[in-house]
Amino acid sequence: MGQFTSTVRITGSRDSFWSRYSGALFLLAPLLVFLIIFYVIPFAHMLRESFQYASSDTQAGEGLTLHQYIKTWSSARIGRVMERTFRMSLLTVAITLVLSYPIALLLLRLKSSIRTIILLVIFISLASSLIVRNYGWVVVLADKGALNALIQALGLMDKPVRLMYSEVAIVIGLVHFSIPFMVLPIYSSLLRQPSSLQEASQSLGGNAWQTFSKITLPLSLPGVFGGTVLTFALSMSAYVTPLMLGSPSSSMISQVAAEQLLIQLNFPYGAAIIVTLTVLTFLIVAAYATLLRKVFRADV
Amino acid sequence: MQTSSAAPATTLFDRIVGFLAWLALIFLLFPVVLTAIVSLNDSFFIEFPPKALSFKWYFNIVNIHAIGRSTLISASIALSAALLCTTLAIAASLAISRYQFSGKAFLTAFLLSPITMPMVAVGIALIQFFIMIGAAFTWYSLLIGHMVLVIAYPIRTLLASLTLMNPSLEEAATSLGASKFKAFWTVTLPQMKPGLISGFLFAFLISFDNYPISVFLVRGGLSTMPIEVFNYISQNLDPTPAAFSTLYVIVISLIIAYAERRYRIVSYSIQ
Repeated sequence: MGQFTSTVRITGSRDSFWSRYSGALFLLAPLLVFLIIFYVIPFAHMLRESFQYASSDTQAGEGLTLHQYIKTWSSARIGRVMERTFRMSLLTVAITLVLSYPIALLLLRLKSSIRTIILLVIFISLASSLIVRNYGWVVVLADKGALNALIQALGLMDKPVRLMYSEVAIVIGLVHFSIPFMVLPIYSSLLRQPSSLQEASQSLGGNAWQTFSKITLPLSLPGVFGGTVLTFALSMSAYVTPLMLGSPSSSMISQVAAEQLLIQLNFPYGAAIIVTLTVLTFLIVAAYATLLRKVFRADV
Repeated sequence: MQTSSAAPATTLFDRIVGFLAWLALIFLLFPVVLTAIVSLNDSFFIEFPPKALSFKWYFNIVNIHAIGRSTLISASIALSAALLCTTLAIAASLAISRYQFSGKAFLTAFLLSPITMPMVAVGIALIQFFIMIGAAFTWYSLLIGHMVLVIAYPIRTLLASLTLMNPSLEEAATSLGASKFKAFWTVTLPQMKPGLISGFLFAFLISFDNYPISVFLVRGGLSTMPIEVFNYISQNLDPTPAAFSTLYVIVISLIIAYAERRYRIVSYSIQ
């Protein structure tokens, strides 16, 4: 009898372990199987490919090699494009932040009907096709476009200014694309702040700027972090925007990788370039998170 | 609201904030409005100011190469990807919000990671994989590419709606005699609705609009709407894409406005 009871207890504890986790496993399994087959394996395969020789390489051979990475890091063109991509992404993040934070602050103060309209505009902007939005900037920045018509009507210039196919045009397109991704996390972090903190600061004699810099801004850093990271990652890997608004002399790193794949048919080299971009972006974001945590003691 | 009630006098700081905010909103709307103006111009080129009014570029949309077929492919891919991903995401987000297990934060980060992957990287990785298994350039491979692209969106919105939800309601339903399935169907699912709708909507729209992943996965007759529109823009200078863009923005605005009216997706997504 005693033996029987102990057996039951053992199976019982196994049952409770199984019943505790079988549900979670059952619910997660379909998605995990899908992502392992179609996300993890393809990326692992691409990583492996980036350590191989391409058939066009002169010293082509079997086995793993750092050849593609050495080629990536020693190429003057890749270095230039990488530096340009980083510089433009940083500029995009800075401009987007300066334009988006005020929208988030404004949303807090507005009447709810106007607030909903502005939020709808931001959502529609987010949901509108990237090609459509970039085309809008083609219309604005073209030689006979709206901005040139305005410049000439004001008599500032007598000939059309070349605005398209430049780094400036790409940054404008990237900022336009990024604003919704920046406004929404900042606004939701502002919403979570109790208004009593601002009132306390004001009743203690703090002016608007002091209240903002000492209370509002530090408390919104998690939202700022979320928005800036997303904007930075999206800009670093931008492909369509530089394709539509830039020229070969302003190309970004995704274009160079895609060109290796679609035109040169050099898979290993293209893979090495894109792996380098992914790892670099990840390292920069990690360093940035550490900085915010250590220096500003932000909860990010 | 909060600030104005405490400080009725507008300070210089408030004025600068207001100026920058309205500047940014005008910046956001500027190209959309100008595209609409160009789309109604009779001229063969993008030209300002418009000379004569005409709707002819709207009728010319049908002359974009394979626009009908590619739009159908885009719609079928986007609908299938959004449906499948939302279903997978319902199950996964329930597991994450209901069960305690170690490595949960890591798992969530992994499930959300496709959002931050460079799209060209996803495209390159998938096309090499599909070539390896001999399934490249098919409707199914395009669908799978788009599922990887959009899977994180319903997961994010559903996790948000489930963390706001009160699990004791479902327990109350089962203790009152409802079956587990019935409790889920009548209590839990309706509460997940806003997350469900906005996750599905964003999955659909992001798939429908994608260029950088599709461009690697399509060939020949298999083509998507953004690819055909992009090709038209790079080969023609007439304002047909302006007409197309304006129509696109109008349709998107109607969908989002309806979803907000019916399901409050905007107010919900902010919380």
